[in-house]
Amino acid sequence: MKHTVNLILEQRPEVLERVLRVVRHRGFKVTKMNMALADGKTAGVDMTVESDRGIELLTKQLDKLIDVIECNALAH
Amino acid sequence: MEQEQNKQGQMMRGADAVIKVLTAHGVTNIFGYPGGAIMPIYDALYGAPVEHLLSRHEQGAAFAALGYARASGKTGVCFATSGPGATNLVTSLADALLDSVPVVAITGQVSTAVIGTDAFQEIDVLGMSLSCTKHSFMVTEMDELVPTLYKAFEIAASGRPGPVLVDIPKDIQIGMLEYKTPVQDRVEEPLLDNRLVDEATTLLTQAKQPMLYVGGGVGMAGAVEPLRRFIKVTGVPSVATLKGLGSIAKDTPGYLGMLGMHGSKAANIAVQECDLLIVVGARFDDRVTGRLASFAEHAKVIHLDIDAAELGKLRLPEVAIDGDLRQVLPALATSLDIAPWQAEVARLKEEHQWNYDRPGELIFAPAMLKSLANKLPEDSVVCCDVGQHQMWVAQHMWFRKPEDHLSSAGLGTMGFGLPAGIGAKVSRPEATVVVVSGDGSFMMNVQELTTIKRRKLAVKILLIDNQKLGMVKQWQQLFFEERYSETDLSDNPDFVTLASAFDIPGRTITNTDEVEAALEHLVNCDGPYLLHVRIDEAHNVWPLVPPGASNRDMMEEMDKST
Repeated sequence: MKHTVNLILEQRPEVLERVLRVVRHRGFKVTKMNMALADGKTAGVDMTVESDRGIELLTKQLDKLIDVIECNALAH
Repeated sequence: MEQEQNKQGQMMRGADAVIKVLTAHGVTNIFGYPGGAIMPIYDALYGAPVEHLLSRHEQGAAFAALGYARASGKTGVCFATSGPGATNLVTSLADALLDSVPVVAITGQVSTAVIGTDAFQEIDVLGMSLSCTKHSFMVTEMDELVPTLYKAFEIAASGRPGPVLVDIPKDIQIGMLEYKTPVQDRVEEPLLDNRLVDEATTLLTQAKQPMLYVGGGVGMAGAVEPLRRFIKVTGVPSVATLKGLGSIAKDTPGYLGMLGMHGSKAANIAVQECDLLIVVGARFDDRVTGRLASFAEHAKVIHLDIDAAELGKLRLPEVAIDGDLRQVLPALATSLDIAPWQAEVARLKEEHQWNYDRPGELIFAPAMLKSLANKLPEDSVVCCDVGQHQMWVAQHMWFRKPEDHLSSAGLGTMGFGLPAGIGAKVSRPEATVVVVSGDGSFMMNVQELTTIKRRKLAVKILLIDNQKLGMVKQWQQLFFEERYSETDLSDNPDFVTLASAFDIPGRTITNTDEVEAALEHLVNCDGPYLLHVRIDEAHNVWPLVPPGASNRDMMEEMDKST
């Protein structure tokens, strides 16, 4: 099942690694991704992820990350 | 206060600011090991009002910080240098992550100008930390140093606690900054959702056969007393996880001890038969549930935890409340009408008591550990390593509170016990601290005997020796056709001679009639001591839920003594 995940992140050099590590470790594959720095403090990431696992397993783990300000998911 | 304000704006080295932030957080003890990239911080430490305990390996330092934190409820702090110093922390940080232990690890790093050039003792510590910490930072600007350290302490101890690493390049340690106490964001406590409380209360009052499944989160939340009141008001029967041991007083009616792979048979049967499972600060770990699909399969679930990511992760609850257990538990405490179930649980407890009868002269570890538990004074801490002895401790000893039983539960790290015991003794110097280890685990951080010698710490070591990697051997015996691949440890060193090289006295016992006097001496003698106990290598841990099986299908004892 595919989902779009929209994230607003603290702009830190390692934040993308942090997010992608969780995505992989929790059993999801990134099939598409876009990242843009916003206002000097935050970064927006939109990604499509695919997995047999329920999307909440991922979004709850992403929400826990200190540098994740907002995390929303939409089913395809 | 006035004096504190006067210090605002003071110019100092980054390294001095690190020590100042620690003292501002009430840190009195640090565990660590110096090296090139953290030398300015060690220089600042020299003469500072903080006690540093030198370990002999960074893993030992970090485990001591974990032991300190777990025995006291305070945040543990450890230092390591860049490169190998930092990589040696990884196992301990992972242990702290899986067991939710508040630890702040500070690592030196090569100077910012040479980061990324493969400089001497340079490794990407921030990258390495991502999978073994709750959060991590690398400080690259002078004015970020103090706020970052403040955030590290806040993150380590708040919500579901965990390890936080702060990597500090050498130029940041040497550079000057103006020290200002950061204004901290107020963390908003989540409000209790009354609708969920009502739903949970309805499930509770409708249940005929409720069971309480208590995990380490209760102790971490400081919710032992609310939990005990909840049990008293509801009369609900209970079981605990490895980390939950000590949360429920041993004589509590309906308390059946540990559940899971090596849990008591009564605990596992009761959970399988219940119609409502109230999960408090626990997370459906595979060592607890056995085959998940058949775990408490007829039960509805109320799941209470501070970490929303645990709710529904492995088992979908009927009601989930993420919040402070100190608020949630009193809100749910209501008297229940479950007398027939209480009687059934009492019957299960009576029917499945431990059997300590063992003919022969060889020492039976479960009986010895039960005796040790009864000899320990009120203020005691037992630190385990990992393996058969760890499960025997969990099954046959008892604890007054969760802080009195330190065991590497989630990560299952051999080598945890000795350094954790050192940290526990530092945090609770008046307590009797006993490290219960096995002949495999003990050798994993044996260098920390020097740390005991250095501070003349009265850490008592009970070394249970079956000349085997016992738990692996047990699985080889049961599930790998007795093909004993690399589990023979009959070439162990002479442990008493080894201890004596560190000025730690000790003796070996091999016979049942030596146990009582030897335990008395271990507990009551002054200073450190090593009691080396040779046991029957044929003894295994029973009962056992085989891998992939339901908790209903426990294997019963099948040992033949040698």
